[in-house]
Amino acid sequence: MTKSFPNVLALRDVSIDVHPGEILALMGENGAGKSTLLKILSGDYQPDGGTVTRDGESLVFAAPREARQAGIRVIYQEPEIIPGIDVAENIYAGELPMRGPFVDRVRLDALVAEDLRRYGFEGVLPTNLMGDMLSSAQRQLVEIMRALKSGVRVLALDEPTSSLTDEEVERLFTLVRRLRDEGVAIIYVSHRINEILRLADRVAVMRDGKLVAARAASELTQGEIVRLMVGRELTDVFRRRPAVQDRVVLRAEGIRSDWHKGVDFEIHAGEVVGFAGLVGAGRTELAKVIFGELPRTAGKISVDGREASITSPTSAIRAGIGLAPEDRKREGLVLIRSVIENASLAILARLTRFGFVQRRLERRIGAEYVERLAVKTPSLDQEVGKLSGGNQQKVVLARWLAAKPKVLILDEPTRGIDVGAKAEIYRLIDELANDGLGIMFISSELPEILGMSDRIYVMQNGRITGELQGGEGVTEEQVLGLAMVDHLAMTAEQAKAAMEAEGQL
Amino acid sequence: MSAADTTTTTPTTPTTPSVTRPRRGRGLIRRVIAAVGVDNLSLVLALVLLVVVIGNLSPLLGISGGQFFWSWQNLMNSLAQSIVIVGLLAIGETVVIVAGALDISVGSIASVASVFSAIIVTQGVLGSFGAGSMQLAILAGIAAGVFCGVINGLIVTILKVNPIIATLGTLAAFDGLAFLIAPEGKPIGVVTQPEFTWLGTGRFLQDLPIPDLGGRPWPGVPVIFVVLIIVAVVMHVVMRYTEFGRSIYAIGGNATAARLAGINLRNVRITMYLISGAIAGLAGVLLTARVTSGNPINGRSLELQAITAVFLGGAATTGGRGTIVGTFLAVLLVGVLTNGMNLLGVGAFYQRVALGILLVGAVAVAQYRQARAERARTRIAAA
Repeated sequence: MTKSFPNVLALRDVSIDVHPGEILALMGENGAGKSTLLKILSGDYQPDGGTVTRDGESLVFAAPREARQAGIRVIYQEPEIIPGIDVAENIYAGELPMRGPFVDRVRLDALVAEDLRRYGFEGVLPTNLMGDMLSSAQRQLVEIMRALKSGVRVLALDEPTSSLTDEEVERLFTLVRRLRDEGVAIIYVSHRINEILRLADRVAVMRDGKLVAARAASELTQGEIVRLMVGRELTDVFRRRPAVQDRVVLRAEGIRSDWHKGVDFEIHAGEVVGFAGLVGAGRTELAKVIFGELPRTAGKISVDGREASITSPTSAIRAGIGLAPEDRKREGLVLIRSVIENASLAILARLTRFGFVQRRLERRIGAEYVERLAVKTPSLDQEVGKLSGGNQQKVVLARWLAAKPKVLILDEPTRGIDVGAKAEIYRLIDELANDGLGIMFISSELPEILGMSDRIYVMQNGRITGELQGGEGVTEEQVLGLAMVDHLAMTAEQAKAAMEAEGQL
Repeated sequence: MSAADTTTTTPTTPTTPSVTRPRRGRGLIRRVIAAVGVDNLSLVLALVLLVVVIGNLSPLLGISGGQFFWSWQNLMNSLAQSIVIVGLLAIGETVVIVAGALDISVGSIASVASVFSAIIVTQGVLGSFGAGSMQLAILAGIAAGVFCGVINGLIVTILKVNPIIATLGTLAAFDGLAFLIAPEGKPIGVVTQPEFTWLGTGRFLQDLPIPDLGGRPWPGVPVIFVVLIIVAVVMHVVMRYTEFGRSIYAIGGNATAARLAGINLRNVRITMYLISGAIAGLAGVLLTARVTSGNPINGRSLELQAITAVFLGGAATTGGRGTIVGTFLAVLLVGVLTNGMNLLGVGAFYQRVALGILLVGAVAVAQYRQARAERARTRIAAA
């Protein structure tokens, strides 16, 4: 099966099979192709080559509805729940039992109660709760109930446990096992190795759009899985020459927020500090908390040795912090305005005399940085939305260079831009650090984290789980291991004990 | 067209952007077009077309009335004065709409200011100080507008109520307030205040040696029309050249990006409602002077005409696009159309239908053109 997107081949010739009464775990790094595979199964994407076969019957899905009719169901982390109606109506949405023009409420309640009893969820999911009152776990349950009701044959779960409590996880596991025993084929996508080893019968590992292994779970260890996930050939990524100074430009102590449970870190002048972790580890949120865009409930932020009272992006900028956000189109740029207006946005107040923007000064500064970053644009007055992704990113960078911050936070600065532009961004980051800027470098691409960082923090579940010195010595396995340490679930000992208790060892 | 050219011919080697203007020649025409704005050219075209049709073709078509269009009487009395109030409200509304919000309460604000200025000019403050003073009455009206505008701003920013709902609420509340501050809810006559009513009837430049037009002598320029021009020029400058104006366009284009670039959304939004309120207040004062009465219903339903003009002038409902020049041209277009239909004897009901069709038609055309430009852009990106 092959799926390609403009510029990127997301899946290359992947063949995967799953049997009735089996739990197949699907693992891989961010961008390994797991989601794409699921979206083909669910009918959201059409493969460019290859087929989906169920019970020996070749299937083509033009739309998600057709995949559902074929008994294939994908459950995402945040399922579509209709907020204004209750659980029972959500489960039976589209197939409500009717009596004349009215919903047959009595029969509906009976049907739902029967379904819930069958799978042991009577107490967990009150049927009269409105859709928008449900927790993440309950939303997933509703979606699973929808799937079961329509006679599912293949059930795929995408990171179902990432927002569940331990107790909810256990309940979900019980349900998944029961479904397996009823003969449903289950595909289970997760980053949590402990969970996988407890739950799965077979583990398939994907990397760079290819299937690298599919083996029985009992034959695999934690270390082996990590190795399989990483094991890519070393590409020649940029390696930077360190220019770290003693001076600490950013120190965060005891940062707590809705996402973080006490995060401490520091960034020196001239240092590129990588922040690694899997999707959902809380790195983007940490950047926004530091930048005052998201509220922090506790903790201290110091810039250049002085404590900064940061309550909003405005105050963060004043303190000397800049942020190039992850989603540059939605959060970084005013796409319908010009290059120069976007580049000068963060220094507008500084360019203003008596309320008027000094346009000559603005153009001089703008031109200087646009030139330094080699932004390819026909003129400073070009609409930013008409530039390529790499050049748009450079306009965001130009904005922050013009603001002359002490710390620059770059959240996925190379996402969605082509290889050539990536190399230019690397060179630029290197140059900026050598000029004495402290750089917080968030990236989900391990090779670039390893190549660019003087030091690496690894995050998981709103915590920093490890700190590594950069350089030749660090391996992707080390980083990934820390990123999947999994505080929330259990330690290796606890996991082993639990598995023994379940009679799996 | 030109965008497509320049994008595809972008050099592949890293080059510095040309800070100088890319093309030279035909300087004057280009500069005029740049000043009006390329997006506004179709408005100018429509305006010219309309004037030609009304002024010249009506005799040919056998409809009488059009020949009166080109007379000083019509241009300087009927037309110039009729567009002032809606024009002012539309200019304030442009600021709000470009920022991606809406202010439906401007008509009610004008009513409050109309009544308040009439009270001040007839009774003065603290005893009878300042009674009869035009300047004080103007100040009072603007102050009333600022007061109402700040209330709008606080509701939207502090209470975080959606702008449409917030100003829908204050539309009703300010309308009621206008009746409450008027003694017994009745209109206050200001005919006895000649200094003040000069605002409504006065003229500048009456002595200029300008020849007759359409058999009518040069009557001078109405004072209220001059006020409109001054406000339009000031707001044009504010929107284009000040930090505030830049912030308005940035917020309307992408509020999140603006906030993450350090722009204080709350301050800008409060200021923008304050400005919209102040201009509506000024419009209320002029209303009082024009109709020689501070009537609580003076401003009713004017907001609809103002908002219509802003969208007709090319502003986007999603914010980030729109200019004072465009709004002014749209106000003029609607004014000429109404004036022409009056001259041609088109009934009032037909006129309203025609205006509705004009708005919907103009926005539909703009949407179509934007969608086409969008498609062209994605084609370039894919190439």
